[in-house]
Amino acid sequence: MKYLVVGLTAALAALSSSAALAEGESIAVFTKNLTNPYFQAVRVGTETAAKKLGVNVIQYVPTKPDSIPEQLSQVEDVIVKKPNAIVFIPVDYKALVPAVEKINAAKIPVTNITDRSAAGDFVAFVGADDYSIGLAVGKRLLDAMGGKGNVIILEGVKGSLTSTNRVRGFNDALKEYPNVKLLASQPGNFQRLNALQVVENLMQSFPQIDGVLAANDPMAVGAIEALEAANRKALVVGINGSKEAVDLIKSGKLLASGDFNGFIQGCIGTEIAVRNLRKQSTPKEVMLKPIVVDKTNYAPYEVPVEQRTCPTLEQVLAN
Amino acid sequence: MSTTALPAQIARVPGVAIALIALCIVFVLTSPGFATSPNIANVLTQSTILLLLALPMTLIIMTEGLDLSIGAVLTFASIILAITAVSTGSLALAFAAALAVGLCFGFLNGALIAVFDIPPFITTLGTLGIAQGLSLVVTDGQSVVGIPRSIETIYSGTAAGIPLPIILAALAYAVTHALLYHTRFGAYVFALGGNREALKVAGISVRGMLIRVYVFGGLMAGFAALLMTARLNSAHPTAGIGMEFDAIAAVAVGGTSFERGNGWLLGTLLGVITVGVLRNGLNLLAIPSSVQVACVGGLVIAALFIDGLRGEQ
Amino acid sequence: MSILTSETLSSRFTLSGNVMQTLYRVLAVALLCVALTALSDVFLTANNILNVLRQTALLFLMASGLTLVILTAGLDLSIGANVALSGCLAASVIKITGSPLLGIATGVGCGFIIGLANGVLVTALRIPSFIATYGMMWVLTGITYYYMAGETIHGFPPGFRQLGSGHLFGIPVPVYFMVLFLMIGVLFAQRTTWGQQIYAIGANPIAARLSGVPVERRLVLVYAVSGAMAGLASLIILARINSAQGDIGEELTLPAIAAVLVGGTSLFGGSGTVAGTLIGALLLTLVLNGMNLLQINSSWQPLATGIIILLAVWIDIRTRRIGE
Repeated sequence: MKYLVVGLTAALAALSSSAALAEGESIAVFTKNLTNPYFQAVRVGTETAAKKLGVNVIQYVPTKPDSIPEQLSQVEDVIVKKPNAIVFIPVDYKALVPAVEKINAAKIPVTNITDRSAAGDFVAFVGADDYSIGLAVGKRLLDAMGGKGNVIILEGVKGSLTSTNRVRGFNDALKEYPNVKLLASQPGNFQRLNALQVVENLMQSFPQIDGVLAANDPMAVGAIEALEAANRKALVVGINGSKEAVDLIKSGKLLASGDFNGFIQGCIGTEIAVRNLRKQSTPKEVMLKPIVVDKTNYAPYEVPVEQRTCPTLEQVLAN
Repeated sequence: MSTTALPAQIARVPGVAIALIALCIVFVLTSPGFATSPNIANVLTQSTILLLLALPMTLIIMTEGLDLSIGAVLTFASIILAITAVSTGSLALAFAAALAVGLCFGFLNGALIAVFDIPPFITTLGTLGIAQGLSLVVTDGQSVVGIPRSIETIYSGTAAGIPLPIILAALAYAVTHALLYHTRFGAYVFALGGNREALKVAGISVRGMLIRVYVFGGLMAGFAALLMTARLNSAHPTAGIGMEFDAIAAVAVGGTSFERGNGWLLGTLLGVITVGVLRNGLNLLAIPSSVQVACVGGLVIAALFIDGLRGEQ
Repeated sequence: MSILTSETLSSRFTLSGNVMQTLYRVLAVALLCVALTALSDVFLTANNILNVLRQTALLFLMASGLTLVILTAGLDLSIGANVALSGCLAASVIKITGSPLLGIATGVGCGFIIGLANGVLVTALRIPSFIATYGMMWVLTGITYYYMAGETIHGFPPGFRQLGSGHLFGIPVPVYFMVLFLMIGVLFAQRTTWGQQIYAIGANPIAARLSGVPVERRLVLVYAVSGAMAGLASLIILARINSAQGDIGEELTLPAIAAVLVGGTSLFGGSGTVAGTLIGALLLTLVLNGMNLLQINSSWQPLATGIIILLAVWIDIRTRRIGE
């Protein structure tokens, strides 16, 4: 028993020493899961900004991906530790409102990024307008199709705000191209294999598919794989601006990807949190402009997130 | 008759208690915030919902059964609770609705297992799909919001300084304890696990007993739904995912065996708290999440390994 | 053969019982196909049938090794997490060395080792398989998440990709694997001593041990096989989606278990067949395929799967009673 305790203590001390830096403010960052590269980009963004600004960030991610009760528990645990500030992505924008209220009650300043929480007091919201991205990317695809043909939409996770808004953007883009027919709109759960199987099945019912509007890059990749395997061609667009998407844009298999930049959101979210702590002025909202990444402008997106530098708040606001 | 089980259990003070004490010592030493009263209150409060599921699970496992659907039933009950609360404004009615959902699924489970002879694993796997499906279809993936805010006090309120959920969970524990160790029902539950023949000889309907055990599970899921909905102030179709496995693990870590109808309720309580302490301590120490995931598995294996060492065979 | 005569007799009886069960299931599949053909005019097209077969193949590969485990009255909850770790490691190896063969060896090897670990937990440490594999699932997932650090590995050589998305004489490659392992599985289970011993262990472990069956070694074997098959399945997934991520395979654990159970293998051990598992996998895949073709809201899918599982097993139990 003695050995057990000593052994565990040593192991924990070793593991946590990396997080136990003493200087600088401490900021707790909450993201949804460990598997979606988007959130990894957010985390890298927060850490890059933290190094630049001389603060510590500690990452909190539910062990069960997207678990609402777990994120709630993590918030409660973190409040006990009283970090100087919190940067928060709610697993669900409605269900985590009680958590935000607890943070508010504990008087810890909190910045909301990516998914706009349904309620709560925030220092600021940093996000990208999913709707505008969906609209821009959708228009790019429909344009490239010459304004006619058949498309399918791959939605994300049912009920997720991101998915709902992006799909709304797609649909509004479709309204501007009346000669394009929407064959089906199905959820792919933002996942590759899911989307692949959905497209495989849709290809059975629809012999002619000219375009695929995917609400994120992994699903776009899944669609491309399905099409290739069946020897069919279609123009595909996704959203995320991920490295994989850039590789596919270079090789011509993916038409374009909407830049939904987790890295920058992480950077700016942290910067705003720190500025707020240091009593500097901060905007109430930062909405990143929708950028469509394609063959003409993909270069900056090729750089892996770990090697990128954070843009400053001024740079982002100036855009 | 029920007390014959106890002496054997005390010799098993084992795995879970050792794990719990070891973890507490380690966390007290390494994390200043751990042993504070707000944090302890947190850990206990966070464990209440799982405890409500693990208590009936103990009984079910004692009857050599399993309830894989309890997490999904919790979720669906919380959704029905939320919808009822939003449309009628009455929390009492909503709670009754949640209990009714639990009752129905519990009865369904019990009937399929007892009357149709479908093994519990398969039955509850099937009803898990049904409950999950209903949750998704009814909500279309969205949270249900707009519940009267008074519901929040059930989770965040206190009585005499003790958080309400802890009081409610303690109540549930006391009731289950009394049921298991001091009533004939409890004696029959022990018999269901180790000695069904005795029941038949005594003229007690095995089917009826099995159904009652699963109905108990369903009702507790409905009760837990109240706490869950109060905690979230909303209902979400993914809220309870995976909790059935957590409950089963807590029961197993606590020393209840899958095979012989041995049940130890206190062990379940310790099991639930141990898992809660582990997660809380790791969070406080800011241990990377991926390592936390592995630790949970390690805890489960370690607890049962220690049990095995102490020798049961 | 060192198996008691009574054991041999009972396994023969189980065989004929199994044949009846398999026939009922084939009937169910046929009925389902007829219904779907009537409801959807694209169901019976070559493309769709190949699709169904390809999706079934993946599920079957996961479930085939698992069948052996369940035959011994055990369970392996870690197969999904096994797929994730084996797949991610294999993906790394392919990227670093450029060699698909090394990647394949890594994937299957890693799966096998994980299976061995499960076997050791169950036999030497005497931890019930439900809990042992549940704990292992968490440990594997943690390791995978740590290793992948939220990134994806993508872009495999075309030669490797043939494994998942290639065709041979018009039939998807995974289907060949399915047939191959079906034959291996059936031969192993029904025609080798080891296979018979596995049935014996499930039916009555004490009697098996008394009649000289090396129970521990066979148990370790079945978990190792289950793990290796998960490793193989991970390679097929990698080849199909051309990438690896920390959570691949997660969603396949319960469907694989369902396929085994719907296929007629009993959780109590001692009865069931690998062929049954194939039919179970086929049934489940057909239901989902049908729902997709009929454009039924995907929210209904868990509901449908749950009902199918209950129906299949219930019919089984009824017919078993009639058979007796």
